[in-house]
Amino acid sequence: MTRSQSRREVLLGAAALAGAASLPRTASAQAKGRIIVGTWGGDYARLLNKNIEGPLLIKDGWEVVQDQAGDPERRSKMFAEQRLPRGTSDVQGLSALNMFQMHDAGTVLPIDYGKLKNAGNLLPSMKYPYGVGHIYSGKVGVYNPKLITTAPVSYQDVFDPGHGNKLGIIDIQYQYTMVCAALAAGGKVNDLEPGKRLLLECKNAGMRIYPTNEAFAQGLKSEEFGVGVMWKARVVQWQNAGIPVTAVAPTEGALAYVSGFVIPKNSPNKDGAYAYLDAMLDKSAQEAFAVDMGYNPTVTNAVVAPDLNKRIGFTPDEIKKLVDLDYDYMNRNDVAFKEWWDKVLKS
Amino acid sequence: MAATAPTQFQSDEAPTSLLSATTLVGPATVFVAAGLLVPLAILFRYSFNNFEPRHMMVETFSLDNYVKFFSDPYYTGVLWTTLRVAALCTVTCLVMALPLAYVLARTQSRFKSLLIMLVVLPLFVGNAVRAAGWMTLFGSKGFLNVTLMQFGAINQPLQIMYTEGAVIAGIIAVNLPYMVLTLQSVIEGINRNVEEAAFSLGAGPMTMFRRVLLPLSLPGILAGTILTFILGMNAYATPVLLGGPKFKMMGPLIYGQFQLNNWPFGASVAFVLMTATLGLTATANILVQHRFRR
Repeated sequence: MTRSQSRREVLLGAAALAGAASLPRTASAQAKGRIIVGTWGGDYARLLNKNIEGPLLIKDGWEVVQDQAGDPERRSKMFAEQRLPRGTSDVQGLSALNMFQMHDAGTVLPIDYGKLKNAGNLLPSMKYPYGVGHIYSGKVGVYNPKLITTAPVSYQDVFDPGHGNKLGIIDIQYQYTMVCAALAAGGKVNDLEPGKRLLLECKNAGMRIYPTNEAFAQGLKSEEFGVGVMWKARVVQWQNAGIPVTAVAPTEGALAYVSGFVIPKNSPNKDGAYAYLDAMLDKSAQEAFAVDMGYNPTVTNAVVAPDLNKRIGFTPDEIKKLVDLDYDYMNRNDVAFKEWWDKVLKS
Repeated sequence: MAATAPTQFQSDEAPTSLLSATTLVGPATVFVAAGLLVPLAILFRYSFNNFEPRHMMVETFSLDNYVKFFSDPYYTGVLWTTLRVAALCTVTCLVMALPLAYVLARTQSRFKSLLIMLVVLPLFVGNAVRAAGWMTLFGSKGFLNVTLMQFGAINQPLQIMYTEGAVIAGIIAVNLPYMVLTLQSVIEGINRNVEEAAFSLGAGPMTMFRRVLLPLSLPGILAGTILTFILGMNAYATPVLLGGPKFKMMGPLIYGQFQLNNWPFGASVAFVLMTATLGLTATANILVQHRFRR
């Protein structure tokens, strides 16, 4: 009953399949080409689409495809694709620390700022040779005035063993927490040993460790604890959600968090990548991110309403005092820090 | 008939037929080899490389990652915790599932299909979602604590979340349907008459269970135990969500290493876990079969 197919039939079938496979690509291709954007999922991806891709790129004839995943997965992908002449993404959204890591590993293209017409408005501190800062915030003290009656003004006040189990930290933020504790203990961004000692003192006094930002917020809401550190932008989101917390910029200088984009060396569409970076620095997109996400613009021409700026922004003095990570130091010691965090602090 | 069947098959189908054994086995074999064995082989090779922060890994051939794992009490502790939790969950699942599976297998109720559906129902919900459900139950202001406090049973909320107990409860809830379904299908295949025969010869329920039902349902017990033990050893979402930051099992430990881009160590921990799971499963299988064969 079986019927063997002739070679001609097989070839015909293969040709039909190949033709069919090429159809959707042709139909979906836009006039200017496709930009593949590596990004976190959730709100950030949604807002990239709402504030940058839709109004500034797709409308202009670009096709934008988001490759959503956590940054460890996307960084692994960049490492794995490093030797390929043609990668699978055009831009990758990463924190400043991870942008440095990818640069240090030789996976990203040096940025040619001459190709970005909005580069003239970019804050000098956001012009990395290997990436462009998109938004920024700072690690501030956060406390519930009902539980912590004396308002903390510094990291030192926050990481006070006297708080006992009213102090909370976040497991997934081990790098930034260790640096904040180091600053609190009089250390530096390239010497975290004093911070380790202080964290151990706090741990022995009953400090709570929460697995995620969300669990931390839940703990604050239920008044399980009353003081910790968090990005100012996130504190604003919590305040909007009705969690009774107050943010305070630490006197040591708030630790800066910058989220930006890099271009992988093997990006298939480098023109598209630059178009994306330029659109991301557009005044309208930057202002919309401040409103929607509570992060500060990285361009000087973005206008943030005074009342919003009071909640999400920093004073000129606070901006001057913003502290940046020592990227090289953090990158070289990341595994050692995580091992100490897991084996010693959490044990 | 049995002796002639293969001859008929051979005479009807020529060796080059599309239905030859090779053709039937081929696609699945190629799929498994390409999709599982090749990546496993690559990962195994990675486990002998060295981690270097700037380049993720440096190609070499060293046992350093395995030495690091077995010489550090932290990592061996994580392995023991995983073994303990998986074993405890497996035994509890077996004890809880046996009576339920027996009732399901023997019931003559017209609602039998519905009852089986009820057992399957939890599998319609993902592990992470189920863990989220447990979180609302176990939290300091969760259903359990609030209820106990309202009834005056406790003054302070019990710390249930972020404990080993919470993880064990969560994994048992995930694994129990697998054990029940495996046992139910095997018990259903055991002729009810052999139980009646045991009773008619004077055996009590426990004797009948021990001498008749247990040996006959052994294949199901072994299959269910292996399944739940493997699932317990490889649990990820439940320990992460219910165990909290201080509780570590092997699954989250492996993922954590890949997050740090330490693929060589992550790969070696993955192979330690796989070897431990396969080794223990095979040993238990051999021991149990040997014991009951006698």
